[in-house]
Amino acid sequence: MRTTKDRFGLGWRPALAAAILSNLDRIDVTEVIADDYFDAPRSERRALRTLAAQIPVTLHGVSLGLASSVPVDKKRLEKMARLCDEVTPFSWSEHLAFVRGGGVEIGHLAAPPRTAATIDGALENLARARTIVGISPQVENVATLIDPPGSDRDEATWVSQILRGSNGDFLLDLHNLYANALNFNFDPIDFIARIPPDRISAIHLAGGKWIGSPGGRRLLDDHLHDVPDPVYDLLLEVGARASRPLTVILERDGDFPSIDCLLYQLDRARQALAQGRIRLIDGYREQEVA
Amino acid sequence: MTTPRFEAFLAKIYVDEEARTRFLSDARGEAVKAGLTEQEVDAVERIDRVGLDLMAKSLERKHHRRPSQ
Repeated sequence: MRTTKDRFGLGWRPALAAAILSNLDRIDVTEVIADDYFDAPRSERRALRTLAAQIPVTLHGVSLGLASSVPVDKKRLEKMARLCDEVTPFSWSEHLAFVRGGGVEIGHLAAPPRTAATIDGALENLARARTIVGISPQVENVATLIDPPGSDRDEATWVSQILRGSNGDFLLDLHNLYANALNFNFDPIDFIARIPPDRISAIHLAGGKWIGSPGGRRLLDDHLHDVPDPVYDLLLEVGARASRPLTVILERDGDFPSIDCLLYQLDRARQALAQGRIRLIDGYREQEVA
Repeated sequence: MTTPRFEAFLAKIYVDEEARTRFLSDARGEAVKAGLTEQEVDAVERIDRVGLDLMAKSLERKHHRRPSQ
């Protein structure tokens, strides 16, 4: 079994900045939205470098649109590369999503059709990202309210094929997984079991709310609510399977509760992952005895 | 399947209310008019209409917000 030193942190948001900096004894890392700094003034970029000197930072992209049959924009990648050079994050990540098409900006992360073409497109875009930025991004599964039209395989198959093809790392968003599982009636634990466990390197936690009318309700991943209990159960399942050190980030974009409430959720995540690690160790011991 | 043209078509019906209304009243006709392949036309004819409606409403609400996840 590999040595594990899991890390836990919060997404960096202006409204949480003071609280994060006041609680560095309980927050190991922070995740910064990279796109906020692509065209930021020098003073803001300098402030980000100062932050990175105080706490390990990971950069999170939201607009590259890597999972697409369309090549990722070189200029956006160059902005990401410049930011990585300046901030030297311990990792960077982007979503397995498409965000624009035919000149139309969707304004959100859209799940692409799960096909061989979008796998090939994602692999080409990941190779391009690695070449220009110099480091491969962790790729993240997205939540979707619509069953992606034109798909010919399920999400676990599609994601696994990209991970194996790119030999890249996976940022597993457990609330996105939970929402998709409820909305499209599949077993999230089966999804976790089918993902190559050695590729999982980071976790996102968040909350959401139900929208729609009876007969047509879906769980929306809105980052405005607390992490629901079943998501901690999924984190335990990940801990029982993935032996690499994990970086666990709690994402909250608004309706901010007290920092104590957010730290409590981080503590619950620590406990869930620790329980999973115990199960993982027990499994190795049983194998040794056998 | 899955061409840039197909992704462009999806992007359009996700965010453009008029295009979505035309699509919902004649999915095949709009898809053919957009030059989609036969497979893609079949796919959008079977589109998840509940999901399309909820996604469109969600996008309208966050029109001026940055995507997050």
